Amino acid sequence: MASRHDADANGITRRKSLAALAGAGALALAGCTETEGGDGGSGDGSDGSDGSDGSDGSDGSDGSDGSDGSDGSDTLSGSINIAGSSTVFPLMSAVAEDFAEDNPEVSIDISSTGSGGGFANFFCVGETDFNNASRPIKEEEQELCEENGVEWVELIAATDALTVVINNENDWATEMTVDELSQIWQSDAAEMWSDVRDEWPDEEIERFGAADTSGTYDYFIENVMGEDGHTDDYQATEQDNTIAAGVEGTRYGIGYFGFAYWFQNQDQITPVAIDNGDGPVKPSLETASSGEYQPLSRPLFTYPSMEALGKEHVAEFARYFVSQTTNEELVAGDVGYVPATEETQEEQMQKLEDAIEQAQG
Amino acid sequence: MATDTDTGRVEEFGEVSRVRGIAFEYLSLGASVLGIFALAVLLIYVTIDAFDLANANPLWLLTYFLTLVVPFLGFCLYSARDRTLTRRAVTVAGGGLVAVAVAFTLVETFVGQVPRLNWQLTYLFVVIIPLTGYLVYMGARGRPGSVGFGMVGRLIGGTAIGLAFSVLFLVFDERLWFLAYTLGIVPALLAYAYGRLRDTPAAVTAALPISILGMVLAVFVREVLRTYPTTAFIYLWTLAIPIAAAGAVVVNGRGSRTAALTAGGVPLALATAVGLFGRAAGLGVGGPNALLVIAVTGVPVAAYLHRVFDVGEGVSGLGLPVLLVAGALAGAFLVELFGIPTPSPWVSETFLTEAPSRTATEAGLYPAIVGSVIIIAMVAVLSFALGVATSVFLEEYTADTGVVGALTRLLQINIANLAAVPSVVYGLLGLGLFANLLGFGFGTAVTVSLTLSLLILPITIISAQEAIRSVPDDLRRGSDAMGATRWQTTKNVVLPEAFPGILTGTILALGRAIGETAPLIMVGAATTVFSPPSSLFSKFSAMPMQIYAWANFPQAEFRYGVVAAGVITLLIILIGMNGTAILLRNRAERGN
Repeated sequence: MASRHDADANGITRRKSLAALAGAGALALAGCTETEGGDGGSGDGSDGSDGSDGSDGSDGSDGSDGSDGSDGSDTLSGSINIAGSSTVFPLMSAVAEDFAEDNPEVSIDISSTGSGGGFANFFCVGETDFNNASRPIKEEEQELCEENGVEWVELIAATDALTVVINNENDWATEMTVDELSQIWQSDAAEMWSDVRDEWPDEEIERFGAADTSGTYDYFIENVMGEDGHTDDYQATEQDNTIAAGVEGTRYGIGYFGFAYWFQNQDQITPVAIDNGDGPVKPSLETASSGEYQPLSRPLFTYPSMEALGKEHVAEFARYFVSQTTNEELVAGDVGYVPATEETQEEQMQKLEDAIEQAQG
Repeated sequence: MATDTDTGRVEEFGEVSRVRGIAFEYLSLGASVLGIFALAVLLIYVTIDAFDLANANPLWLLTYFLTLVVPFLGFCLYSARDRTLTRRAVTVAGGGLVAVAVAFTLVETFVGQVPRLNWQLTYLFVVIIPLTGYLVYMGARGRPGSVGFGMVGRLIGGTAIGLAFSVLFLVFDERLWFLAYTLGIVPALLAYAYGRLRDTPAAVTAALPISILGMVLAVFVREVLRTYPTTAFIYLWTLAIPIAAAGAVVVNGRGSRTAALTAGGVPLALATAVGLFGRAAGLGVGGPNALLVIAVTGVPVAAYLHRVFDVGEGVSGLGLPVLLVAGALAGAFLVELFGIPTPSPWVSETFLTEAPSRTATEAGLYPAIVGSVIIIAMVAVLSFALGVATSVFLEEYTADTGVVGALTRLLQINIANLAAVPSVVYGLLGLGLFANLLGFGFGTAVTVSLTLSLLILPITIISAQEAIRSVPDDLRRGSDAMGATRWQTTKNVVLPEAFPGILTGTILALGRAIGETAPLIMVGAATTVFSPPSSLFSKFSAMPMQIYAWANFPQAEFRYGVVAAGVITLLIILIGMNGTAILLRNRAERGN
């Protein structure tokens, strides 16, 4: 250290302090240093990447160790932003969890914003790579996407069986026709159970259902009530918990929500078997996937944007997602939806591969 | 009640009715009891769920009660050295046991089953925890108690601060910090010290420009330079050594030079040894984070040890950490020995260190904890700086009269009203202003922190103003009379005097910020992320977001166990944060 020469004029303390400083500096230099190859790859610099311990500053200039493979073709890296339906959220996060475990360099974030909120605020303004939806994309959302130049492809994620539930002590309404269901939920709704069917008790119906911002609400209207619309005389919520707790606590209550909640809490409430003209059918994984449970089985979607599919890590995640839609243990067992059939999966995979080719080609 | 109307007449003074006064007193009592009782029930159930206490074997509870709680209470009583207190404590503990058991059995027989509670747990929550709180309070008044709690506090606090630092370095580039420290802060400190020692004011004045220049230089050098010391050496050089030096200086002020060297050197050596060679030596711990934690914990502990031995009073209090650790170990040993089934708490190591998962037992909160800690650190800095600056300006600098005075009053009213604006509105503002217009990105740490800072800014400003206003005007006039400028008065008189009050307001406001969900949803913060953020501009999640998502999961284990664990973690971090601020405040108050 050259600086020591000009310290001679002053007293011992200064010389000492300078020596200490030089010592500390030498310590810092002589100890393990590390050279970074790619910028921002500071995540793991744990074990000395270069073997030379006593290195002086000179060898720092060359960063050609080639030790880090972060830019290499083997490992995927990047971020994936996902928003959208709260119904699809558990499924998407289960798949993302497994994908993140296999690809630690890919950071995935998922927001549960509701189908419409995700399209309007994030996806169609180009902020997210995927948008989950519990209903197909709407006309006005397509227009918004078009305005912002966001192209997308529609993938079927799984099937949900919308489940109508009643109190466990309710022994009369365990089977209902679609028409009776409609009488209970349409805009001029039946007030008493006895209004629907004469032999049912002369008690007021207490309704718990999805809020009008939810995809479940739209789907229920479209497939049960049609033009008769949805009643206002019910407790509306986005939370399945609240619906279940409401029905559980009221003997004369009725509610509807996605299959998953009932599937995971089967003792709490009783599902209604729906009669669509071919006899009553209870909601279950089998009846929903075979198409017997009608009209309340609905497909769930996810919409990757074309631009995002152009990136390899997003494309790979989309492929992984589609491949997992038939995974019974994950989709049915862990999340409680109906897995896609092999045919559907093949179709979706073909659609996706075409899209990826178009995006990357 | 007719007499009440006559009380205005002085000659009939003896006829005052006490009914209203008594009624009012009991109404207030009832209101406070109702509120506190509801909160207590909520917290008790959350705690029971989070630690799976409902399934705890009574023998398990008894074992830990005897090995951990009883010795601790004994320590508190020993410290208090008060026979009546001891007698009363034993009476309460024993009488409470009988009373709770009888009352609980009566309720169960005549009213019905109480969900997820038994009389042992009720006894724990209703009698033992309040008793412990009271005895801690009484014990801390004695010298051994205050020494013991001071020691435990430094151990826990140091670890927490060390961990918080290492979390912050997940997003802040430690190499940039290394350059900024080496090129900016060190030269500035040297210049300052030189100026002070040699009495050269020019050097002291130059310190600030030197540090700014050095930091700007660091940003440029960071772009060019590619070789750096390892993280462990950076922590050693930029944090551990200065902390050790500061500790040594403090001890040097109180005692001998040898003691100072020991107090700074021993923890530093330990931190270096464990940090650099711990893994290699097979200790199981090591690496840069261990170095940081040991340095941040060790130096204050060493300084405190020196002070305690210096004073020479209450040295026995130093046994408290040993007592606690030994108690916990003995409990674990006995449980193992007799094969008592242990409950499986939801708040566990995996919960704190793992990513979220679809299965309840594997679910973790780690990315969200990191997100919250980073956000809250930035919010604290931003809102404190902005809030103090605004309130100082409004209180000390603007005129009270004239056009400026009217404008100030208008501003004042607006600030007060802003405090009542719903948080969703701030979320919308953040979305429009920070995410869209300024392009800080959706749901990034920068956007979220700025939005939350704005959200709590009115509260910070109002409370800081209150604190500044409560500084007696005589002090200002006194300072003026000495010929001080307004800046000097503010800096030397007003701010130190108002500091505790300002901190109180900031603590309350930060507590609100850490629990907010609505604005985070609006600015697009992620509900779930699987890895901790790597920069300030990557997508963030925060604890309330993740907890809210879990509360909607269909599985009952999520809605009860995992959510409760999340709530408890959030509360513990909140308490830790508030505790730090309260300690700072108390220190400032003592300083006055």
